[in-house]
Amino acid sequence: MDKLSKEEVLHVAHLARISLTDEEIEKFRVQLKVLMDDIDKIKDVKDYDDEMMYTPIEDNTRLREDIVGEMLSAKDVGINAPAKNGSFIEVPVMINE
Amino acid sequence: MSNYIPTMGLEVHVEIKSNSKLFSSSANTYGMATNTSVNVIDLGYPGTLPTLNKEIIRQGIRACKVLNCNITRKMHFDRKNYFYPDNPKNYQITQNRTPIGTGGYVEIEVDGIKKKIGISDIHIEEDTCKSAHRGNVSLLDFNRAGVPLIEIVTEPCISNSKEAMAYLIKLRELLFYANISDCKMEEGSMRCDANVSISKTEKLGTRTEIKNISSIHNVGLALDKEIERQEEVLENGGVIREETRRFDDKIGETILMRVKETGNDYRYFIEPDIPYLVVTDEFIEDSLKTLPLLPDELRKKYKEVGLTSLQIEKLIANRSLNDYFLGLLEFKTNYVTAVNLLLSDISSYLNKHNKVITDTKLSYEKLVEVIENLESRELSNKNIKDLIDSLMETDKTLEELKKEFNIQNITDDSFINEIITKVIENNPDSVNDYKNGHDRALKYLMGQVMKETKGSVNPKKASDMLVKELNK
Repeated sequence: MDKLSKEEVLHVAHLARISLTDEEIEKFRVQLKVLMDDIDKIKDVKDYDDEMMYTPIEDNTRLREDIVGEMLSAKDVGINAPAKNGSFIEVPVMINE
Repeated sequence: MSNYIPTMGLEVHVEIKSNSKLFSSSANTYGMATNTSVNVIDLGYPGTLPTLNKEIIRQGIRACKVLNCNITRKMHFDRKNYFYPDNPKNYQITQNRTPIGTGGYVEIEVDGIKKKIGISDIHIEEDTCKSAHRGNVSLLDFNRAGVPLIEIVTEPCISNSKEAMAYLIKLRELLFYANISDCKMEEGSMRCDANVSISKTEKLGTRTEIKNISSIHNVGLALDKEIERQEEVLENGGVIREETRRFDDKIGETILMRVKETGNDYRYFIEPDIPYLVVTDEFIEDSLKTLPLLPDELRKKYKEVGLTSLQIEKLIANRSLNDYFLGLLEFKTNYVTAVNLLLSDISSYLNKHNKVITDTKLSYEKLVEVIENLESRELSNKNIKDLIDSLMETDKTLEELKKEFNIQNITDDSFINEIITKVIENNPDSVNDYKNGHDRALKYLMGQVMKETKGSVNPKKASDMLVKELNK
């Protein structure tokens, strides 16, 4: 059975910002290949039309009037955050990756 | 070293002025308390849907007009996928395949030579949240998340840092005057990334991107430094990698940030939550109705009323004075005198009190009257300096102020005659010289009159009266 290369799996893992064990890499070489083959089948559909695939609605999008609505309090903004620092949401530093 | 040809392109993001954000009804304002201008859409909560703000599309259309772009009639939005904590949805909604505007230009002038800087496209997208890095953590403020941006992308057609700076100055002026953005680089409402490559042939070299340059001045410095760096690398047998750099203005160098992810890695696909947007002729026409006069149109208009190039540029550099002056053109007066006043005594007053002209009580009618008085020499320039605070701060009429400041007395004939008589009595030699045909003596005597009145007398009137008295 065809597999993705180790590099291809690692590239996808990098884009998703996850680390994989050697065992997982081997597993995903097979699983991702199956997924990609399925996606290729969709691409083979005859008369594939970008617009049709995008939206079945022919109506123009509705535009919202430029009016300010309700907003959350700073407390509620952070309610589901694992870490806070005053009103800020705190996350592990992510610069110069 | 100098036989490399540099080629540059600029990507400028400007925050669009509107009441609410691009896809949510949170307020689009700057300087709010941390995380108070946010709703669940900005936070990317599951089950929320974006709704497109009409005013942003209007602003985008206005931007197309002022940047000479073709307006896309049927457009959609795209998702740009990436994982980074500044964007909780893990994608940014942008326009990849159908940008609102394409094929425009901005005309610049460098060292007397005009050049059109081509704009490949302008597109609408949402801003990310603002992050501040503190040691091992980053602090996130979502007030900026979802703020509307337009990104303006030039063709790779900029040949040197002077052109880049001239382009940015012109772009800022256009977008500011069109009320599309306040374009404050120091507040981040205008941000500039630059792509730079060098080559000895017509084929472009590998480009590097310099991110987030903080001022127009620094864009000039960063571009020159990056060209210099690339030349050194190539001359020493190295290769230029496609990478992202930043400019550190403290050390004056560009510094490597990261090796770039290629375009495909963003896995763009059409945003399925926002159906197609079709803009009609009526919508475009309606959006452009509110577009004010743009700087080049103002320059032409001001030249017609007799202003000098220097006066015109000074006026355009000061938006509030410019808008005031534009209103003054509805009145019949001496516009050159008006501009001189606006740029001298009135500007000094405004700077000193940290005000804009609309904060003051200087009505057009009052200003026109002041100009008339200056022309008829009923007021001197010195009088203006004495009166300026009261002119700007009170509702009193000019006549009332003249009385209050005793300016009536100064133009009063008997008061001037008194001074002239005194000067004639005290300077018999000069009077004789004048009578013997020495013109310089008149100047001396006139000087004495001005000295006695501390310069506040109407000089023409005093001079006429002095001559009359001497010829008696």
